[in-house]
Amino acid sequence: MTGDIQDTHKGKTMLQMKVRGLMYDPFNNAFIIILRDEQEKEVLPVWIGKPEAGAISFALEGVFTPRPMTHDLMKSILDSSNAKVISVVITDLKDNTYFAKIHIAYQDSEYTVDSRPSDAIALALRVDAPIFATLAVIQKHSTEELDRWLENLRPEDFGKSDA
Amino acid sequence: MDIKLNVQGVLTDPKTETQVVLLRAEDGQEVLPIWVGAIEGGAIKFALEGILPARPMTHDLLKSMIDHLGFRVQKVIITEIKNNTYYALIYLESGGSLLSIDSRPSDAIALALRTHVPIYTTDEVLKQKAGDSLDTWLERLNPKDFGDKNV
Repeated sequence: MTGDIQDTHKGKTMLQMKVRGLMYDPFNNAFIIILRDEQEKEVLPVWIGKPEAGAISFALEGVFTPRPMTHDLMKSILDSSNAKVISVVITDLKDNTYFAKIHIAYQDSEYTVDSRPSDAIALALRVDAPIFATLAVIQKHSTEELDRWLENLRPEDFGKSDA
Repeated sequence: MDIKLNVQGVLTDPKTETQVVLLRAEDGQEVLPIWVGAIEGGAIKFALEGILPARPMTHDLLKSMIDHLGFRVQKVIITEIKNNTYYALIYLESGGSLLSIDSRPSDAIALALRTHVPIYTTDEVLKQKAGDSLDTWLERLNPKDFGDKNV
């Protein structure tokens, strides 16, 4: 559990997270991105809509689309301008809505852009930028909620979308 | 020659999940229909109707990124049709140079509406457009398909 998360990750305010999979939530007809820290101690599930899940699963599975999808266009604009995504950070959770920031280096400055986590993650996967979550967010979200949800899952709910 | 287009509206094809964006030449009767996905159609509708979502949707993020970095969208051009696929270019000023970025027309239109820049196409595209398929499609539509989604 995350009760003593501040002690477990002494001195850190953020953890780098990896996308461990994308699952379908049949109860809410939504998808869940499962993020885990590198030590696999913490889990952060982020609920996202179906279109957002599409953009993320394309990136996870390395699907090539003949025409650029919207996040590919973002990457292409940043690349053509020599702007670089430094990192994306999932910063806050309010009323079940997650907030994220995209940090971009361009010329000699750094810019921070407000984003939904789904867009931030879809972009990070395309530009190989690290994904972070603040300890506060990881702590705030109740893992019990995910545990309860996982207990209700049946084996057939695990399809190919579980990467 | 470049022809300026205005976005007339977005229609939903009730049989599939696809949507059709109708663009009309500013100085004529020519209509250019472009089939887009449900998400992109939604992004164009939101911009037409001036809906501001609580959290930035993907194209709002695109605009916000462009604004933050001090880039400026100049115009978008629907440049060609190849094998029923439409191609577009987004003209972007960044760091003193003018870039043209390859894009799907749906993204280009969604961005143009948010940045208030003109949308153009060429004579070629208008000539080549699949006008017949729009007529056939429109004939199949029932009046009840035109709900409040018809802008």
